[in-house]
Amino acid sequence: MFRSNNITARIFQRQITTPSPGTSVHHARRFYENIVPGCTIHDVECPDLSFRKFTEDGKYLISFSRTHQDLIVYRPTWLSFSCKQEDCDTQDLPLKAKKFESFFTQLYSVPLASASEVICKDFFLYAETNQFGVFATSTAQIHDAPATGGAILGVPSIEKITFHLLRLEDGVVLDERVFCNDYINLAQSMGVFLFEDLLAIVSLRYQRIHILQIRDSGSLVDLRSIGEFCREDDELFLNSSSQADGTAQHMPINNVVNDPNLEQPAQENCFLSGIKQRLLSFIVRGIQNEQKVETMRNQSLKKKFYFHFQDYVDLIIWKVQFLDRHHLLIKFGSVEAAVSRNADNHPSFFAVYNMESTEIIAFYQMSSDELYLLYEQFCDYFHVPSKSSLYMNFISSHSNNIYALEQLRNNKSKATSFSLFIKKVLASLPFNCQSQNPSPYFDQSLFRYDEKLISAADRHRQSTDHPIKFILRRPPHTLKFKIKTGPEAGITDCRTKRISSFIFHPILPLALSVQQTLFSQPAVVNIHFRR
Amino acid sequence: MGSWIVGNWPSFDPHNFSQLRPNDPSAPSKKTPITYHPTHERTLPPPDQVISSEAKNILLRQFYQRGDEKLRPKRAAPENLAPEQECKHPRASVASSSQPPK
Repeated sequence: MFRSNNITARIFQRQITTPSPGTSVHHARRFYENIVPGCTIHDVECPDLSFRKFTEDGKYLISFSRTHQDLIVYRPTWLSFSCKQEDCDTQDLPLKAKKFESFFTQLYSVPLASASEVICKDFFLYAETNQFGVFATSTAQIHDAPATGGAILGVPSIEKITFHLLRLEDGVVLDERVFCNDYINLAQSMGVFLFEDLLAIVSLRYQRIHILQIRDSGSLVDLRSIGEFCREDDELFLNSSSQADGTAQHMPINNVVNDPNLEQPAQENCFLSGIKQRLLSFIVRGIQNEQKVETMRNQSLKKKFYFHFQDYVDLIIWKVQFLDRHHLLIKFGSVEAAVSRNADNHPSFFAVYNMESTEIIAFYQMSSDELYLLYEQFCDYFHVPSKSSLYMNFISSHSNNIYALEQLRNNKSKATSFSLFIKKVLASLPFNCQSQNPSPYFDQSLFRYDEKLISAADRHRQSTDHPIKFILRRPPHTLKFKIKTGPEAGITDCRTKRISSFIFHPILPLALSVQQTLFSQPAVVNIHFRR
Repeated sequence: MGSWIVGNWPSFDPHNFSQLRPNDPSAPSKKTPITYHPTHERTLPPPDQVISSEAKNILLRQFYQRGDEKLRPKRAAPENLAPEQECKHPRASVASSSQPPK
């Protein structure tokens, strides 16, 4: 069976054959081998904004003003121009067409942040079914904040973090949720995970996971708050029983009466937090069951559990993701590592928690081969599937793409130490929500490209002068298109470090590449599209 | 070509199916086709059985399975034989009581 690379032949073939079951997306994607964003408009004149990304359905382009106080949303369209000559294909585009406005129409500009706040430009989550967007604004960070009100010492505090729920069609702010004197990791949406209509927000400072639901009407509803208490009525139960006892609550107050100079101690709960208790009891039961003989059991517990007891108690929740509507994958670690940039050297643990039954299902260390095996076999289930857009489930990973799997196997065989390799691979868990671009140009079975220079992951990269090549995977392995950042002539000044970011449209052959220096010089924006 | 069991079905080559001699439609045979009935009821589903898809995805099923294995109390070796012996008895009694099919 020979597949023609000619687009007309492919269209005729599409008329008469049905794709094999489950491969409709792959078949449709093959057309992207023929339709590529090969034409570039260098250094297009555009408003001085920081462009964030296209929404996953491709309907909106999200950007923020340089002052990080306004949100500006564009609708991607396509340019149109007329050509009077006979041979239009070889003609260059008229100057009037080579504008930012040919491709994007501004829909609205909404001020989200007030005077003392800034919009976190790394944070944006899209709820596709209702076309809602979640944005975050925050005030300045306070380091060395005192540990009051149940907060963890060592975690900085932000006076006010607001999450805004916006309807992207018209820019109306539907609801807000404010967190005061808290710390939520907003960079790259790390502290928040969106799954269908559920939002999980990790409050690092108070060690709570807030689960909110985005209703169709646009309101944010609190569902539960996991951390100190696991079930919704735990707090009520504990308070009512302590009131009945009359002992635990009253003692601190007596102390103050006797000695008014003594600072009232923080409401010390003699119990460990709910989720910590669940975790510790799971660990204990696991260690107990390893040993068949009673005497060996105690010995084993002493060695494996009691020796490390304080370390286990000191663990804090770092990051969370949904595995399905009832299950969370929680990463635990130490306090110092939570706020430091390089957390790789600090030990961390993974736990699977069922929100309904409030049970811990599994607990692994960061270098666990068992967890690595599960990750290797079922990677796509860690990227929770999306129900609205089918193509969102086909972002290349080693579970759905043979070339990505080959690359993983190569890395595994080249690794000097297997446990270090596992640590490196598992460090990406839990995944950042919506951090991978669904554009078919990043599909590993269609194109081969240098992953260090460009990839589906949403992050800034070191800028290079030479263009990034996209080569066909299948024979005849030809170069299909190039993405060149920066001005057409290249950069003469090699001293300043430049970083590039790429914004690919999920469906259209359209991409933006933004090259900027670390200083606030205006960025060079190129538009790559198919002519 | 030609009538083949029912109706005139087209064929690539007129010589195909020429050797096939279907039953003569003018004198249909009175013999009913052989049917088979099961001789036992061991394979019938229970009357209240409901088949539905598993709510948990495969990854979660793996987590639960491994968690159950870890938490299931392990018995020392001599104790393991007893449950297996218990299992064997009912099976032997069923085998001895079933009638051989005719």
